[in-house]
Amino acid sequence: MTTAKETGFVGKLPGALPGLALLIGTMVVIRLWVEPWMANAVVFGQKGWLIKVTHLNYILLGIIMGMLYRNVLFGGKLPEVFADGFRLSRLFIKTGIILLGSLYTVQAIVKLGALAIFLIGGFVVLSIVMVLWLGKLFGMERSMTGVMANACSICGVSAAVATAPAVEAKAAHVAYAIATILGFGILTMFISPFIGHALGLNDLQYGAWVGTGILNSGQVLAACLAFNPTVAPGTAVSVGEIWNIMRVISIPFAVFAVTVWYWAGHEQPQGQRKSLTTLLVEKFPVFVLGFLGMVLLTSIGAFGDAGIKGGPPASATIKMIRDWMQWIFGIGLVGMGGYIDFKELRQAGGTPLKVGLIVGVTKYVLALVVVLLIRDYLVEI
Amino acid sequence: MSARLPIAVAVDGSPASDAPLAEALRLAQADNRPLLGVFVLDTGWADYIGNDWQSAAGARQGFLDYIRGQLESQAEAARTQFAAVTRDLPSAHFRVIPGEPLEELCALIARGEAEILVVGPQAFQICGRPSVKTLARDLARRASSLHIV
Repeated sequence: MTTAKETGFVGKLPGALPGLALLIGTMVVIRLWVEPWMANAVVFGQKGWLIKVTHLNYILLGIIMGMLYRNVLFGGKLPEVFADGFRLSRLFIKTGIILLGSLYTVQAIVKLGALAIFLIGGFVVLSIVMVLWLGKLFGMERSMTGVMANACSICGVSAAVATAPAVEAKAAHVAYAIATILGFGILTMFISPFIGHALGLNDLQYGAWVGTGILNSGQVLAACLAFNPTVAPGTAVSVGEIWNIMRVISIPFAVFAVTVWYWAGHEQPQGQRKSLTTLLVEKFPVFVLGFLGMVLLTSIGAFGDAGIKGGPPASATIKMIRDWMQWIFGIGLVGMGGYIDFKELRQAGGTPLKVGLIVGVTKYVLALVVVLLIRDYLVEI
Repeated sequence: MSARLPIAVAVDGSPASDAPLAEALRLAQADNRPLLGVFVLDTGWADYIGNDWQSAAGARQGFLDYIRGQLESQAEAARTQFAAVTRDLPSAHFRVIPGEPLEELCALIARGEAEILVVGPQAFQICGRPSVKTLARDLARRASSLHIV
Protein backbone atom coordinates (compact mmCIF):
# COMPACT_ATOMS: atom_id res chain seq x y z
CA MET A 1 0.00 0.00 0.00
CA THR A 2 1.40 3.38 -0.97
CA THR A 3 1.08 6.11 1.59
CA ALA A 4 1.64 9.84 1.59
CA LYS A 5 4.57 9.28 3.95
CA GLU A 6 6.35 7.02 1.50
CA THR A 7 5.91 9.14 -1.62
CA GLY A 8 5.79 12.64 -0.16
CA PHE A 9 3.24 15.31 -0.89
CA VAL A 10 4.52 16.19 -4.38
CA GLY A 11 4.87 12.56 -5.40
CA LYS A 12 1.32 11.91 -4.32
CA LEU A 13 -0.17 14.88 -6.13
CA PRO A 14 -0.65 13.34 -9.62
CA GLY A 15 -2.61 10.45 -8.11
CA ALA A 16 -4.78 12.92 -6.23
CA LEU A 17 -5.70 14.97 -9.31
CA PRO A 18 -8.83 13.01 -10.37
CA GLY A 19 -10.31 13.24 -6.86
CA LEU A 20 -9.39 16.90 -6.54
CA ALA A 21 -10.89 17.60 -9.96
CA LEU A 22 -14.15 15.99 -8.82
CA LEU A 23 -14.20 18.01 -5.57
CA ILE A 24 -13.36 21.32 -7.27
CA GLY A 25 -15.71 20.63 -10.19
CA THR A 26 -18.54 19.86 -7.76
CA MET A 27 -18.03 23.11 -5.87
CA VAL A 28 -17.75 25.15 -9.09
CA VAL A 29 -21.06 23.73 -10.35
CA ILE A 30 -22.75 24.35 -6.99
CA ARG A 31 -21.50 27.92 -6.53
CA LEU A 32 -21.77 29.12 -10.11
CA TRP A 33 -24.95 27.39 -11.24
CA VAL A 34 -26.91 25.53 -8.56
CA GLU A 35 -26.94 28.24 -5.89
CA PRO A 36 -27.85 31.10 -8.28
CA TRP A 37 -30.57 28.89 -9.79
CA MET A 38 -31.97 28.14 -6.32
CA ALA A 39 -31.94 31.84 -5.47
CA ASN A 40 -33.96 32.70 -8.58
CA ALA A 41 -36.22 29.67 -8.93
CA VAL A 42 -39.88 30.36 -8.23
CA VAL A 43 -41.42 27.63 -6.09
CA PHE A 44 -44.95 27.89 -4.60
CA GLY A 45 -45.13 31.33 -6.18
CA GLN A 46 -42.16 32.58 -4.19
CA LYS A 47 -38.78 33.51 -5.65
CA GLY A 48 -35.87 31.95 -3.73
CA TRP A 49 -38.18 29.63 -1.75
CA LEU A 50 -35.62 26.82 -1.99
CA ILE A 51 -33.04 28.84 -0.09
CA LYS A 52 -35.36 30.69 2.30
CA VAL A 53 -37.17 27.57 3.48
CA THR A 54 -34.57 24.81 3.20
CA HIS A 55 -31.63 27.08 4.23
CA LEU A 56 -29.51 25.13 1.75
CA ASN A 57 -26.35 26.93 0.66
CA TYR A 58 -23.15 25.84 -1.09
CA ILE A 59 -21.75 24.41 2.15
CA LEU A 60 -24.64 22.03 2.89
CA LEU A 61 -25.06 21.22 -0.82
CA GLY A 62 -21.34 20.37 -0.99
CA ILE A 63 -21.52 18.05 2.02
CA ILE A 64 -24.67 16.40 0.65
CA MET A 65 -22.97 15.87 -2.73
CA GLY A 66 -19.94 14.30 -1.01
CA MET A 67 -22.24 11.98 0.92
CA LEU A 68 -24.11 11.05 -2.26
CA TYR A 69 -20.87 10.33 -4.11
CA ARG A 70 -19.71 7.84 -1.50
CA ASN A 71 -22.94 6.24 -0.40
CA VAL A 72 -25.02 6.27 -3.57
CA LEU A 73 -22.94 6.83 -6.70
CA PHE A 74 -19.90 4.80 -5.59
CA GLY A 75 -21.86 2.19 -3.60
CA GLY A 76 -20.30 2.84 -0.18
CA LYS A 77 -16.59 2.99 -1.06
CA LEU A 78 -14.62 5.72 -2.80
CA PRO A 79 -13.02 4.31 -5.97
CA GLU A 80 -9.20 4.16 -5.81
CA VAL A 81 -8.94 6.74 -8.58
CA PHE A 82 -10.67 9.37 -6.41
CA ALA A 83 -9.51 8.25 -2.94
CA ASP A 84 -6.24 10.22 -2.77
CA GLY A 85 -7.94 13.44 -3.87
CA PHE A 86 -10.63 13.06 -1.22
CA ARG A 87 -7.91 12.39 1.39
CA LEU A 88 -6.24 15.67 0.42
CA SER A 89 -9.47 17.54 1.15
CA ARG A 90 -8.53 17.42 4.84
CA LEU A 91 -5.58 19.59 3.97
CA PHE A 92 -7.96 22.12 2.39
CA ILE A 93 -9.95 22.46 5.60
CA LYS A 94 -6.83 22.72 7.75
CA THR A 95 -5.46 25.39 5.45
CA GLY A 96 -8.78 27.20 5.61
CA ILE A 97 -8.72 27.16 9.41
CA ILE A 98 -5.22 28.63 9.39
CA LEU A 99 -6.39 31.37 7.02
CA LEU A 100 -9.33 32.01 9.36
CA GLY A 101 -6.75 33.59 11.65
CA SER A 102 -7.05 36.63 9.36
CA LEU A 103 -10.50 37.32 10.88
CA TYR A 104 -9.05 38.18 14.28
CA THR A 105 -6.62 40.44 15.98
CA VAL A 106 -4.89 39.58 19.24
CA GLN A 107 -7.11 42.11 21.03
CA ALA A 108 -10.27 40.47 19.63
CA ILE A 109 -9.04 37.02 20.68
CA VAL A 110 -8.34 38.28 24.20
CA LYS A 111 -11.81 39.90 24.36
CA LEU A 112 -13.67 36.86 23.08
CA GLY A 113 -11.26 34.27 24.44
CA ALA A 114 -11.90 34.87 28.14
CA LEU A 115 -15.60 34.05 27.80
CA ALA A 116 -14.86 31.20 25.39
CA ILE A 117 -12.38 29.63 27.83
CA PHE A 118 -14.92 29.90 30.64
CA LEU A 119 -17.77 28.38 28.61
CA ILE A 120 -15.73 25.74 26.79
CA GLY A 121 -13.83 24.76 29.95
CA GLY A 122 -17.08 24.39 31.86
CA PHE A 123 -18.67 22.24 29.18
CA VAL A 124 -15.56 20.07 28.72
CA VAL A 125 -15.38 19.30 32.45
CA LEU A 126 -19.15 18.76 32.67
CA SER A 127 -19.16 16.35 29.73
CA ILE A 128 -16.20 14.35 31.03
CA VAL A 129 -17.78 13.99 34.49
CA MET A 130 -21.13 13.04 32.95
CA VAL A 131 -19.64 10.32 30.73
CA LEU A 132 -17.58 8.89 33.61
CA TRP A 133 -20.72 8.74 35.74
CA LEU A 134 -22.90 7.26 32.99
CA GLY A 135 -20.16 4.76 32.10
CA LYS A 136 -20.22 3.51 35.67
CA LEU A 137 -24.01 3.53 35.77
CA PHE A 138 -24.34 1.48 32.57
CA GLY A 139 -21.42 -0.82 33.44
CA MET A 140 -19.44 0.26 30.39
CA GLU A 141 -15.83 -0.96 30.23
CA ARG A 142 -13.40 1.49 31.81
CA SER A 143 -11.31 1.98 28.67
CA MET A 144 -14.43 2.53 26.56
CA THR A 145 -15.64 5.09 29.13
CA GLY A 146 -12.31 6.91 28.92
CA VAL A 147 -12.47 7.16 25.13
CA MET A 148 -16.11 8.28 25.19
CA ALA A 149 -15.39 10.87 27.89
CA ASN A 150 -12.93 12.76 25.71
CA ALA A 151 -14.75 12.07 22.45
CA CYS A 152 -17.97 13.59 23.82
CA SER A 153 -16.30 16.51 25.54
CA ILE A 154 -13.59 17.89 23.29
CA CYS A 155 -13.24 17.25 19.65
CA GLY A 156 -14.83 14.01 18.55
CA VAL A 157 -12.57 11.83 16.49
CA SER A 158 -9.30 13.62 17.32
CA ALA A 159 -9.92 13.23 21.03
CA ALA A 160 -11.00 9.59 20.70
CA VAL A 161 -7.87 8.60 18.78
CA ALA A 162 -5.63 10.65 21.07
CA THR A 163 -7.05 8.97 24.19
CA ALA A 164 -7.36 5.36 22.98
CA PRO A 165 -3.72 4.23 23.38
CA ALA A 166 -3.44 5.89 26.82
CA VAL A 167 -6.40 3.93 28.23
CA GLU A 168 -5.69 0.67 26.37
CA ALA A 169 -8.94 0.92 24.43
CA LYS A 170 -9.77 -1.93 22.11
CA ALA A 171 -10.10 -1.17 18.41
CA ALA A 172 -13.82 -1.97 18.49
CA HIS A 173 -14.32 0.49 21.38
CA VAL A 174 -12.80 3.33 19.42
CA ALA A 175 -14.80 2.40 16.35
CA TYR A 176 -18.09 2.56 18.25
CA ALA A 177 -17.16 5.83 19.93
CA ILE A 178 -16.33 7.38 16.55
CA ALA A 179 -19.50 6.10 14.90
CA THR A 180 -21.58 7.50 17.76
CA ILE A 181 -20.09 10.98 17.82
CA LEU A 182 -19.99 11.33 14.06
CA GLY A 183 -23.59 10.21 13.72
CA PHE A 184 -24.74 12.68 16.35
CA GLY A 185 -22.56 15.42 14.88
CA ILE A 186 -23.90 14.96 11.37
CA LEU A 187 -27.44 15.22 12.66
CA THR A 188 -26.68 18.43 14.56
CA MET A 189 -24.78 19.84 11.58
CA PHE A 190 -27.96 19.69 9.48
CA ILE A 191 -30.54 20.70 12.09
CA SER A 192 -28.63 23.53 13.80
CA PRO A 193 -29.08 26.12 10.99
CA PHE A 194 -32.85 25.49 11.07
CA ILE A 195 -33.01 25.88 14.84
CA GLY A 196 -30.78 28.96 14.70
CA HIS A 197 -32.97 30.66 12.10
CA ALA A 198 -36.20 29.57 13.81
CA LEU A 199 -35.05 31.06 17.13
CA GLY A 200 -33.84 34.20 15.40
CA LEU A 201 -30.30 33.82 16.74
CA ASN A 202 -27.71 36.28 15.48
CA ASP A 203 -24.27 35.19 14.29
CA LEU A 204 -22.66 35.76 17.66
CA GLN A 205 -25.23 33.71 19.58
CA TYR A 206 -25.34 30.97 16.96
CA GLY A 207 -21.54 30.68 16.72
CA ALA A 208 -21.21 30.52 20.51
CA TRP A 209 -23.93 27.86 20.75
CA VAL A 210 -22.67 25.63 17.94
CA GLY A 211 -19.02 26.08 18.95
CA THR A 212 -19.92 24.82 22.42
CA GLY A 213 -22.63 22.26 21.67
CA ILE A 214 -21.41 20.32 18.62
CA LEU A 215 -18.93 17.54 19.26
CA ASN A 216 -16.75 17.50 16.16
CA SER A 217 -14.61 20.32 14.80
CA GLY A 218 -15.38 19.79 11.11
CA GLN A 219 -19.06 19.77 11.93
CA VAL A 220 -18.80 23.03 13.89
CA LEU A 221 -17.27 24.63 10.82
CA ALA A 222 -19.94 23.22 8.51
CA ALA A 223 -22.82 24.15 10.85
CA CYS A 224 -21.54 27.74 11.11
CA LEU A 225 -21.07 28.16 7.37
CA ALA A 226 -24.46 26.56 6.75
CA PHE A 227 -26.04 29.24 8.97
CA ASN A 228 -24.14 32.09 7.33
CA PRO A 229 -21.66 31.32 4.53
CA THR A 230 -19.99 34.73 4.81
CA VAL A 231 -16.43 34.56 6.09
CA ALA A 232 -15.76 37.85 7.88
CA PRO A 233 -15.16 39.11 11.41
CA GLY A 234 -18.29 38.75 13.54
CA THR A 235 -19.96 36.10 11.39
CA ALA A 236 -21.03 32.71 12.77
CA VAL A 237 -17.88 30.97 11.53
CA SER A 238 -15.56 33.50 13.14
CA VAL A 239 -17.27 33.06 16.52
CA GLY A 240 -17.81 29.28 16.31
CA GLU A 241 -14.24 28.61 15.24
CA ILE A 242 -12.59 30.60 18.01
CA TRP A 243 -14.74 28.62 20.44
CA ASN A 244 -13.66 25.46 18.70
CA ILE A 245 -9.97 26.38 18.74
CA MET A 246 -10.18 26.88 22.51
CA ARG A 247 -11.64 23.40 22.86
CA VAL A 248 -9.12 21.76 20.52
CA ILE A 249 -6.25 23.25 22.53
CA SER A 250 -7.53 21.39 25.58
CA ILE A 251 -7.02 17.93 23.98
CA PRO A 252 -3.63 17.18 25.63
CA PHE A 253 -4.94 18.29 29.04
CA ALA A 254 -8.07 16.17 28.75
CA VAL A 255 -6.06 13.14 27.59
CA PHE A 256 -3.80 13.60 30.62
CA ALA A 257 -6.77 13.91 33.02
CA VAL A 258 -8.58 10.86 31.65
CA THR A 259 -5.35 8.83 31.68
CA VAL A 260 -4.83 9.70 35.36
CA TRP A 261 -8.45 8.66 36.07
CA TYR A 262 -8.05 5.40 34.14
CA TRP A 263 -4.87 4.33 35.93
CA ALA A 264 -5.92 5.56 39.39
CA GLY A 265 -5.00 2.85 41.89
CA HIS A 266 -3.13 0.80 39.29
CA GLU A 267 0.51 0.70 38.23
CA GLN A 268 0.69 2.12 34.71
CA PRO A 269 3.15 0.16 32.55
CA GLN A 270 6.48 1.99 32.23
CA GLY A 271 6.34 2.42 28.43
CA GLN A 272 2.87 3.94 28.54
CA ARG A 273 3.56 6.58 31.18
CA LYS A 274 3.55 10.03 29.61
CA SER A 275 4.01 13.41 31.21
CA LEU A 276 1.79 16.35 30.41
CA THR A 277 4.72 17.92 28.54
CA THR A 278 5.11 14.84 26.32
CA LEU A 279 1.38 14.81 25.67
CA LEU A 280 1.46 18.51 24.79
CA VAL A 281 4.17 17.87 22.19
CA GLU A 282 2.51 14.73 20.83
CA LYS A 283 -1.14 15.72 20.88
CA PHE A 284 -1.13 19.48 20.38
CA PRO A 285 -2.91 20.23 17.12
CA VAL A 286 -0.21 21.69 14.87
CA PHE A 287 -2.59 23.73 12.70
CA VAL A 288 -3.53 25.80 15.77
CA LEU A 289 0.02 27.21 15.69
CA GLY A 290 -0.56 28.23 12.06
CA PHE A 291 -3.86 29.82 13.06
CA LEU A 292 -2.21 31.79 15.88
CA GLY A 293 0.59 32.84 13.52
CA MET A 294 -2.02 34.18 11.12
CA VAL A 295 -3.70 36.11 13.97
CA LEU A 296 -0.34 37.69 14.82
CA LEU A 297 0.34 38.65 11.20
CA THR A 298 -3.14 40.17 10.89
CA SER A 299 -2.69 42.06 14.17
CA ILE A 300 0.54 43.71 13.01
CA GLY A 301 -1.14 44.67 9.74
CA ALA A 302 0.87 42.35 7.49
CA PHE A 303 -2.11 42.03 5.14
CA GLY A 304 -3.41 45.58 5.53
CA ASP A 305 -6.56 46.52 7.40
CA ALA A 306 -8.37 43.48 8.80
CA GLY A 307 -11.88 44.97 8.50
CA ILE A 308 -12.69 44.43 12.17
CA LYS A 309 -16.01 46.01 13.23
CA GLY A 310 -15.69 49.72 13.93
CA GLY A 311 -12.34 49.93 12.11
CA PRO A 312 -11.40 50.74 8.50
CA PRO A 313 -12.70 48.39 5.79
CA ALA A 314 -10.75 45.23 4.92
CA SER A 315 -7.81 45.59 2.55
CA ALA A 316 -7.85 44.01 -0.91
CA THR A 317 -5.46 41.26 0.32
CA ILE A 318 -7.69 40.41 3.26
CA LYS A 319 -10.76 40.36 0.99
CA MET A 320 -8.95 38.01 -1.38
CA ILE A 321 -7.94 35.69 1.48
CA ARG A 322 -11.58 35.57 2.62
CA ASP A 323 -12.78 34.77 -0.90
CA TRP A 324 -10.27 31.92 -1.09
CA MET A 325 -11.46 30.64 2.26
CA GLN A 326 -15.01 30.22 0.98
CA TRP A 327 -13.74 28.11 -1.92
CA ILE A 328 -11.28 26.20 0.23
CA PHE A 329 -13.92 25.34 2.83
CA GLY A 330 -16.47 24.50 0.16
CA ILE A 331 -14.13 22.08 -1.60
CA GLY A 332 -12.87 20.61 1.68
CA LEU A 333 -16.39 20.01 2.94
CA VAL A 334 -17.39 18.11 -0.23
CA GLY A 335 -14.45 15.87 0.70
CA MET A 336 -15.67 15.63 4.28
CA GLY A 337 -19.10 14.54 2.99
CA GLY A 338 -17.30 11.88 0.98
CA TYR A 339 -15.96 10.41 4.20
CA ILE A 340 -19.38 10.07 5.81
CA ASP A 341 -20.14 6.39 5.49
CA PHE A 342 -23.79 5.58 6.19
CA LYS A 343 -22.95 1.90 6.61
CA GLU A 344 -20.48 2.58 9.44
CA LEU A 345 -22.81 5.07 11.14
CA ARG A 346 -25.85 2.78 10.93
CA GLN A 347 -24.03 0.12 12.85
CA ALA A 348 -23.21 2.22 15.88
CA GLY A 349 -25.15 0.95 18.84
CA GLY A 350 -25.25 -0.46 22.34
CA THR A 351 -24.18 1.37 25.47
CA PRO A 352 -21.74 3.77 23.73
CA LEU A 353 -24.60 5.06 21.57
CA LYS A 354 -26.82 5.47 24.63
CA VAL A 355 -24.13 7.36 26.57
CA GLY A 356 -23.11 9.42 23.52
CA LEU A 357 -26.68 10.46 22.82
CA ILE A 358 -27.47 11.38 26.43
CA VAL A 359 -24.32 13.48 26.80
CA GLY A 360 -24.49 14.90 23.28
CA VAL A 361 -28.12 16.01 23.54
CA THR A 362 -27.59 17.41 27.06
CA LYS A 363 -24.59 19.41 25.92
CA TYR A 364 -26.32 20.61 22.74
CA VAL A 365 -29.46 21.79 24.54
CA LEU A 366 -27.68 23.14 27.61
CA ALA A 367 -25.27 25.13 25.44
CA LEU A 368 -28.24 26.78 23.70
CA VAL A 369 -29.89 27.59 27.03
CA VAL A 370 -26.66 29.04 28.45
CA VAL A 371 -25.99 31.13 25.33
CA LEU A 372 -29.55 32.51 25.45
CA LEU A 373 -29.16 33.29 29.16
CA ILE A 374 -25.86 35.13 28.71
CA ARG A 375 -26.61 36.68 25.31
CA ASP A 376 -26.22 40.21 26.70
CA TYR A 377 -22.72 39.39 27.93
CA LEU A 378 -21.44 37.84 24.69
CA VAL A 379 -18.62 39.97 23.31
CA GLU A 380 -18.84 41.06 19.69
CA ILE A 381 -15.68 41.17 17.59
CA MET B 1 -6.64 -36.06 -10.28
CA SER B 2 -6.85 -32.32 -9.72
CA ALA B 3 -6.52 -31.13 -6.10
CA ARG B 4 -9.72 -29.97 -4.50
CA LEU B 5 -9.92 -26.29 -3.60
CA PRO B 6 -9.69 -25.44 0.09
CA ILE B 7 -12.41 -24.44 2.48
CA ALA B 8 -11.61 -21.02 3.90
CA VAL B 9 -12.69 -19.98 7.37
CA ALA B 10 -12.56 -16.51 8.93
CA VAL B 11 -10.78 -16.80 12.30
CA ASP B 12 -10.24 -13.90 14.71
CA GLY B 13 -8.82 -15.56 17.84
CA SER B 14 -11.97 -14.99 19.90
CA PRO B 15 -14.55 -17.52 21.16
CA ALA B 16 -16.81 -16.25 18.34
CA SER B 17 -14.59 -18.19 15.92
CA ASP B 18 -14.92 -21.53 17.73
CA ALA B 19 -18.14 -22.62 16.04
CA PRO B 20 -17.21 -21.58 12.48
CA LEU B 21 -13.80 -23.19 12.89
CA ALA B 22 -15.32 -26.46 14.10
CA GLU B 23 -17.81 -26.44 11.22
CA ALA B 24 -15.09 -25.70 8.66
CA LEU B 25 -12.97 -28.53 10.07
CA ARG B 26 -15.90 -30.92 9.88
CA LEU B 27 -16.58 -29.95 6.27
CA ALA B 28 -12.91 -30.22 5.32
CA GLN B 29 -12.60 -33.71 6.83
CA ALA B 30 -15.88 -34.89 5.36
CA ASP B 31 -15.06 -33.57 1.90
CA ASN B 32 -11.33 -34.30 2.09
CA ARG B 33 -10.35 -30.70 1.32
CA PRO B 34 -7.53 -28.51 2.58
CA LEU B 35 -8.48 -25.96 5.22
CA LEU B 36 -7.40 -22.33 4.99
CA GLY B 37 -7.70 -20.11 8.07
CA VAL B 38 -7.89 -16.40 7.29
CA PHE B 39 -7.48 -13.28 9.38
CA VAL B 40 -8.02 -9.97 7.60
CA LEU B 41 -5.82 -7.19 8.93
CA ASP B 42 -8.24 -4.30 8.47
CA THR B 43 -6.55 -1.47 6.55
CA GLY B 44 -9.66 0.73 6.57
CA TRP B 45 -8.80 2.52 9.82
CA ALA B 46 -6.94 5.42 8.24
CA ASP B 47 -10.01 6.31 6.21
CA TYR B 48 -12.36 5.60 9.08
CA ILE B 49 -10.76 8.25 11.24
CA GLY B 50 -10.33 10.44 8.16
CA ASN B 51 -13.50 12.43 8.80
CA ASP B 52 -11.48 14.38 11.24
CA TRP B 53 -8.73 16.69 10.11
CA GLN B 54 -7.74 18.57 13.23
CA SER B 55 -5.02 16.16 14.18
CA ALA B 56 -1.89 16.64 16.16
CA ALA B 57 1.45 15.56 14.72
CA GLY B 58 1.64 12.33 16.72
CA ALA B 59 -1.99 11.65 17.56
CA ARG B 60 -3.34 10.23 14.32
CA GLN B 61 -0.28 8.19 13.30
CA GLY B 62 0.24 7.16 16.93
CA PHE B 63 -3.29 5.83 16.98
CA LEU B 64 -2.91 3.99 13.67
CA ASP B 65 0.29 2.34 14.95
CA TYR B 66 -1.53 1.41 18.16
CA ILE B 67 -4.44 -0.14 16.24
CA ARG B 68 -2.07 -1.99 13.93
CA GLY B 69 -0.34 -3.45 16.99
CA GLN B 70 -3.70 -4.62 18.32
CA LEU B 71 -4.68 -6.17 14.99
CA GLU B 72 -1.33 -7.97 14.74
CA SER B 73 -1.79 -9.40 18.25
CA GLN B 74 -5.26 -10.51 17.29
CA ALA B 75 -3.88 -12.11 14.13
CA GLU B 76 -1.43 -14.08 16.28
CA ALA B 77 -4.26 -15.15 18.58
CA ALA B 78 -6.20 -16.27 15.50
CA ARG B 79 -3.20 -18.22 14.20
CA THR B 80 -2.83 -19.97 17.58
CA GLN B 81 -6.55 -20.74 17.72
CA PHE B 82 -6.47 -22.18 14.20
CA ALA B 83 -3.31 -24.22 14.85
CA ALA B 84 -4.77 -25.71 18.03
CA VAL B 85 -7.91 -26.92 16.26
CA THR B 86 -6.22 -28.18 13.10
CA ARG B 87 -3.09 -29.82 14.54
CA ASP B 88 -4.21 -33.24 13.20
CA LEU B 89 -5.01 -31.90 9.75
CA PRO B 90 -1.85 -31.82 7.60
CA SER B 91 -3.45 -29.81 4.79
CA ALA B 92 -4.37 -26.86 7.02
CA HIS B 93 -2.65 -23.54 6.73
CA PHE B 94 -3.25 -20.00 7.93
CA ARG B 95 -2.94 -16.63 6.24
CA VAL B 96 -3.08 -13.03 7.36
CA ILE B 97 -4.38 -10.80 4.56
CA PRO B 98 -4.26 -6.99 4.75
CA GLY B 99 -7.29 -5.17 3.32
CA GLU B 100 -11.00 -4.53 3.69
CA PRO B 101 -12.54 -7.63 5.40
CA LEU B 102 -15.56 -7.94 3.11
CA GLU B 103 -13.59 -7.32 -0.08
CA GLU B 104 -10.71 -9.63 0.84
CA LEU B 105 -12.95 -12.56 1.75
CA CYS B 106 -14.86 -12.17 -1.52
CA ALA B 107 -11.60 -11.86 -3.45
CA LEU B 108 -10.35 -15.10 -1.95
CA ILE B 109 -13.21 -16.94 -3.62
CA ALA B 110 -13.06 -14.85 -6.78
CA ARG B 111 -9.35 -15.66 -7.23
CA GLY B 112 -10.13 -19.35 -6.88
CA GLU B 113 -8.04 -19.76 -3.74
CA ALA B 114 -10.95 -21.36 -1.90
CA GLU B 115 -14.30 -22.76 -2.91
CA ILE B 116 -16.29 -22.58 0.29
CA LEU B 117 -16.09 -19.82 2.86
CA VAL B 118 -17.19 -20.34 6.45
CA VAL B 119 -17.84 -17.15 8.42
CA GLY B 120 -19.44 -16.80 11.82
CA PRO B 121 -21.96 -14.00 12.44
CA GLN B 122 -19.49 -12.18 14.71
CA ALA B 123 -16.36 -12.61 12.62
CA PHE B 124 -13.68 -9.94 13.31
CA GLN B 125 -15.99 -7.98 15.61
CA ILE B 126 -13.51 -8.21 18.46
CA CYS B 127 -11.09 -5.97 16.60
CA GLY B 128 -13.10 -4.32 13.88
CA ARG B 129 -14.91 -1.23 12.81
CA PRO B 130 -18.72 -1.19 13.06
CA SER B 131 -19.03 -2.23 9.41
CA VAL B 132 -17.87 -5.78 10.22
CA LYS B 133 -20.93 -6.22 12.41
CA THR B 134 -22.85 -7.40 9.36
CA LEU B 135 -19.92 -9.05 7.59
CA ALA B 136 -21.51 -12.50 7.40
CA ARG B 137 -24.81 -11.06 6.15
CA ASP B 138 -23.06 -8.88 3.57
CA LEU B 139 -21.06 -11.85 2.34
CA ALA B 140 -24.19 -13.92 2.01
CA ARG B 141 -25.75 -11.15 -0.02
CA ARG B 142 -22.72 -10.92 -2.30
CA ALA B 143 -22.42 -14.63 -3.03
CA SER B 144 -25.28 -17.01 -2.54
CA SER B 145 -22.90 -20.03 -2.72
CA LEU B 146 -21.14 -19.06 0.51
CA HIS B 147 -21.54 -21.40 3.40
CA ILE B 148 -22.30 -19.42 6.52
CA VAL B 149 -22.42 -20.89 10.00
